[in-house]
Amino acid sequence: MTSPDPLIASIRIAAPPDVVFPYLVDPALLARWFGDAIGSTPEPGGAFAIAFDDTKSVQGRFVSIDPPKRVVFTWGVPGSDVLPPGSTTVEVVLTADGSDTVVDLTHHDLPRSELPSHQAGWSGLLKELERVAGEG
Amino acid sequence: MAERTAEDPGGPDAVLRALADPNRRQILRLVRGNELPAGQIAAHFADLTQQAVSQHLRVLAGAGLLSERRAGTRRFYTLRPDPLDDVRAVLAEFWPDALTRLKDVVERDHPPTGATP
Repeated sequence: MTSPDPLIASIRIAAPPDVVFPYLVDPALLARWFGDAIGSTPEPGGAFAIAFDDTKSVQGRFVSIDPPKRVVFTWGVPGSDVLPPGSTTVEVVLTADGSDTVVDLTHHDLPRSELPSHQAGWSGLLKELERVAGEG
Repeated sequence: MAERTAEDPGGPDAVLRALADPNRRQILRLVRGNELPAGQIAAHFADLTQQAVSQHLRVLAGAGLLSERRAGTRRFYTLRPDPLDDVRAVLAEFWPDALTRLKDVVERDHPPTGATP
């Protein structure tokens, strides 16, 4: 199921993991940086919805909560064919480094086009076709 | 190779059929990152009638490879980005932005002692 090429983002925060962790699961703290979290239940199986503005929202469900080290939740967009709720998974790992925390976020199972997956988009597809067709 | 979780408007068969023609591939190269009116696209194909070029444009648009914009009587075409890679591109910006906001909020709430900001 895992996409061969997950999206990865990382950041270093000048606070220890036990300080950072609640910001990933507590609805009131999530709202401070992520978006208005509705019905967020910080326990495995707990569903949440996050509204970014009038038109964009995301639905998810906590899969695993392991304070203060790791949280996993599903991620999808209601009504989307490409990214329906439950279709992708986000894993956030907190690693203590001195008095800091390194946050590593991995977004798994993102859809890819089935054609040339090693290059982005249609331009990659065109290159592939040119190669196959032997055209310059 | 990768699992397919959504259909493009024309589906993979329509895409492959649309791409099977060298003139149509040439059209896609012309409008890659470069919106052009139909007439200007036709001008690149001296050996094709305007009608033939219009037909190619319809096939490409029908396969979801081209987006069409009308302005008055003119039609403009551009390469349509792959919606699946579009999602990736959006998230590739979204997550670093979100983590930066997380860092700012945490460090504002819990000011680091004696650390450089």
